Amino acid sequence: MTDPLRITFDVACPPERAFELWTKQTSRWWPTSHTVSARPDVGVVIEPGVGGRIYERTPEGEEHDWGRVTGWNPPSRISYLWHLRQDRADATEVEITFAEGERAGTRISIEHRGWDALGARGADQRELNQRGWTRLLPHFQAVAG
Amino acid sequence: MPRQAANPFDALADAHRRAILELLQGGERSVREIADEMPITRPAVSRHLRLLKEAGLVTSSAEGTRRLYRLHDEGLDAVRDYLNEVWGDAAGRFRLLADNSEPS
Repeated sequence: MTDPLRITFDVACPPERAFELWTKQTSRWWPTSHTVSARPDVGVVIEPGVGGRIYERTPEGEEHDWGRVTGWNPPSRISYLWHLRQDRADATEVEITFAEGERAGTRISIEHRGWDALGARGADQRELNQRGWTRLLPHFQAVAG
Repeated sequence: MPRQAANPFDALADAHRRAILELLQGGERSVREIADEMPITRPAVSRHLRLLKEAGLVTSSAEGTRRLYRLHDEGLDAVRDYLNEVWGDAAGRFRLLADNSEPS
């Protein structure tokens, strides 16, 4: 079995703020290089609630679907199916928890799983996604403190 | 500025192209290896690489059936030289102005 990806890091702001930054103000920190359209003014949307769509949208209305919310427990937890660039059938699942950390900050734990369902590609996809997270998270840390 | 087939500043203006250059910092890569790490398709990556090559920012070589891309250091020199040229002129103009402002 291919283990889930697990990443943990701390930010200075409290969990409510961290959750809001992640889910309501995604466009503020999500790097445009991690979008399909790569336009400087592209918006990233996480619709609140289970079943919410996750997608990018340019001001001209070009949209690309990235996934769907499967768990919504503000401010402590969000989980979603993630299929950016893949077939929906090849979606993996991400779970992010925002827990109280030291000095009124937040400990963020990410678990990214479902690699076995991808069969032979699972291990490679896990590796690629690990690299993707490493490039993505510093942008969130920069706004969350 | 020496004339390239494509302007390196236009090449650098795209976020995906910048991401490709950042990936190549880690060493040479094939189109597939680059596309695997990006949210765009292989043909899109090929188009970006062609423009980066025309702008002199990357070069490629064949390894068997694969084509590998890497950063082209001389291409970055052209960018630096242009900036030095512009700021160099500005520094010169300031000195001229300062010299002419001295009380005689």
